Amino acid sequence: MITHLVPVVFSISEVFDIERITENPDISFSFEAQPQKKEPLHLYDTFDWRAWNKNTAIILSRNQLNLIAIDNGKKVSSVGFRRTPQSFFPEEIPDDKTRSSLQAFSKPRAFLRYGTVSTLSQSMRVLDRNMKTVATIEIRSILPSSAQEQEQKRFITLTPVRGFHKEFGKLTRHILTKPSYAETTTYRNFFLALLDAVSCQPGINASKTPVKLHPDNTIVDSARELLLSTLAVIHANETWIPKNIDTEFLHDYRVAIRRTRSILARLQGILPPEELLTYKQSFRELGRRTNDLRDQDVYLLEADRFRELLPPAMRNSLNLFFTDLRNRHKKELRSFSRHIASEKHKRFLQEWESFLRSDPQSDPDRTPEARRITSDVAVASIRKAWKKVLRHGRTTSPEATDTELHALRLDCKKLRYLLEFYSSLFPRKTLRQVVRQLKNLQDNLGLFVDLSVQQDYLTTYLSSLECDEEVIPLAASIGGLVTALHHKREAVRKEFHHRFEKFDRTETETMFNELFKPYRQP
Amino acid sequence: MKTIALYSIKGGVGKTASAVNLAYLSSLTAPPTLICDLDPQGASSFYFRIVADKKYSSKKFLKGNKKIYNNIKGTDFDNLDLLPADFSYRNLDLELQEEKKPQKKLKSNIQELNTEYPYIFFDCPPNLTLLSESVFAASDVILVPLIPTTLSLRTFGQLLEFFKENKLDTGKIRGFFTMFERRKAMHRQIVEEYGGKKRFLSQIIPYNSEVEKMGIYRAPLNAVRPHAPAALAYKKLWEELMHEIA
Repeated sequence: MITHLVPVVFSISEVFDIERITENPDISFSFEAQPQKKEPLHLYDTFDWRAWNKNTAIILSRNQLNLIAIDNGKKVSSVGFRRTPQSFFPEEIPDDKTRSSLQAFSKPRAFLRYGTVSTLSQSMRVLDRNMKTVATIEIRSILPSSAQEQEQKRFITLTPVRGFHKEFGKLTRHILTKPSYAETTTYRNFFLALLDAVSCQPGINASKTPVKLHPDNTIVDSARELLLSTLAVIHANETWIPKNIDTEFLHDYRVAIRRTRSILARLQGILPPEELLTYKQSFRELGRRTNDLRDQDVYLLEADRFRELLPPAMRNSLNLFFTDLRNRHKKELRSFSRHIASEKHKRFLQEWESFLRSDPQSDPDRTPEARRITSDVAVASIRKAWKKVLRHGRTTSPEATDTELHALRLDCKKLRYLLEFYSSLFPRKTLRQVVRQLKNLQDNLGLFVDLSVQQDYLTTYLSSLECDEEVIPLAASIGGLVTALHHKREAVRKEFHHRFEKFDRTETETMFNELFKPYRQP
Repeated sequence: MKTIALYSIKGGVGKTASAVNLAYLSSLTAPPTLICDLDPQGASSFYFRIVADKKYSSKKFLKGNKKIYNNIKGTDFDNLDLLPADFSYRNLDLELQEEKKPQKKLKSNIQELNTEYPYIFFDCPPNLTLLSESVFAASDVILVPLIPTTLSLRTFGQLLEFFKENKLDTGKIRGFFTMFERRKAMHRQIVEEYGGKKRFLSQIIPYNSEVEKMGIYRAPLNAVRPHAPAALAYKKLWEELMHEIA
């Protein structure tokens, strides 16, 4: 990559006169200006701003999809793109370089059109005596998005051509000559101005951003804060799930529900028991409503992997299964979308929110634990959950039965959520180490359960097939698939004790103790 | 990195036009591409309106990598860069003689460009000198444009002879016909005879006055007149070559 080919961006005030650049006898260049034209810029990123987080702006204009480094304004890649879709997936991009960059940001997530900025653009080539282009200038005005706003933001981008540094320096000085009403700024500022024009704030919707808790606050306040943050994730994803753009919306939604339930499970004596019970049930019910949809998503995502598990000759007969699945998914999505749009559901979320925002009534009889301080509860509940994992893990039989592994997986999940909820209270480095240890064990258990669920689903599907000659090849393929999944699952099961031993050792214990150290009682 | 030399002992056979158009096509299919103008007459530099910096000379060229790198200029086309020739290049041969291993000089001088350009083109001066030998060693493919005449074929034979005598790899050499005129019986006859032969590419570049006008457009023909007969032929030639290289 050529580092010296970075453009310079200037922001210019209203009074800046473009002719000052071109009609100056002191400068020995000529200018070939293109007529000014309206140019809409379409801004894309994933729902959780993965490109932005990796320093990249994705802008579609003039039928070109451009990836631009935000820190220096250099074009990373560019590809012809003749549509302006509401969303697209990296796989749709024919150009290898652009596609792999996009995939590096996110494989499962779609890129959404965040907004379209109307701009006026005028570009010109700067020519030397041989009529060779030595730099290009682009003057861009961001048109106000509403009638109330009068101010037009204007920028000049001066892009160098390789090997013409002297000319570039001269031009930069020329634009800045006083009184110039121009000042150098950054591409980042220009991009922020574009986002601002469509009222976008980069970085919102990132579901993994931890809530910053204060260790000395009461647990009831901290719990409300955590629950409000998961509620925000629920709200944000509900807008997108019915659009069926990518499967991550539903996934994030489900994680938010599970987190909510997991927090609620720990609020005995902290929130009033009646409300606690009602909300626990309501969220369990809401989560349950999404189960089938998520399962279908997973099978459809895994379609290729499933096919590969079978010998080539048996693969095609699976098509019937997947078509069936897609139809069910369509139906299920419609029904779930109806549910989240229903008055009943909306009212439920509204009530939940006002409950969380209402002033907590201190009632020592009904909520005796509510005034405990956050760090105490955090340490106690993490320790309890960790010990539980150890206890259950150690008593797991040598055969590691399905029931044992299923239960242990839930224990691990609970511990993981607790670590995430209270993450802002603990030293980041130690926490990361603890989570890594736990994740290693969780990966094993997660895979085991997934393979079990898949087997069960397929077995049920198989028994639901009507006895018909046409379905014989399909039944054979499903049977083959169940066998293959079974073998895989048994391999994962075998691995369990080894993984658990890695988790259950002095090193991990030291890490946990290190984690609790800041809050140790004297 | 693949290096492709446009080379002929004989002048006026379409070396520069071929180098400029093929390099342009390469910049579209396998960006970015560099074209090194090695001819002191600087025809390809002229086509791209590029003049070397005053301080640039054959001496800097011989110093290699960093000096070369700093003097590369962007053309008016995306992903196509050029190392301009300087008039001092007429002394390159004399200066090469003073080097330790003159034949290997060019190869080592462009080594650092390896990571940046998938394709590098050399536009060579028409003669057979020490510089040519240096080009032979540095190139993966030596493309020899030939007008379908006996004289052209004779120089092609001379080149092969030279390679054999000096134990160079004749497998790098690929001839192709340029300025082909169907109305000329001799052209037809030669093309027919040599067309599919070993060491010849099958695509032929027809005579096209548009090619001469490149001096007026000062741009690759494929960029300004992509539908001109010669431009279409260059496109097919590039495809054939890519197929062979890959």
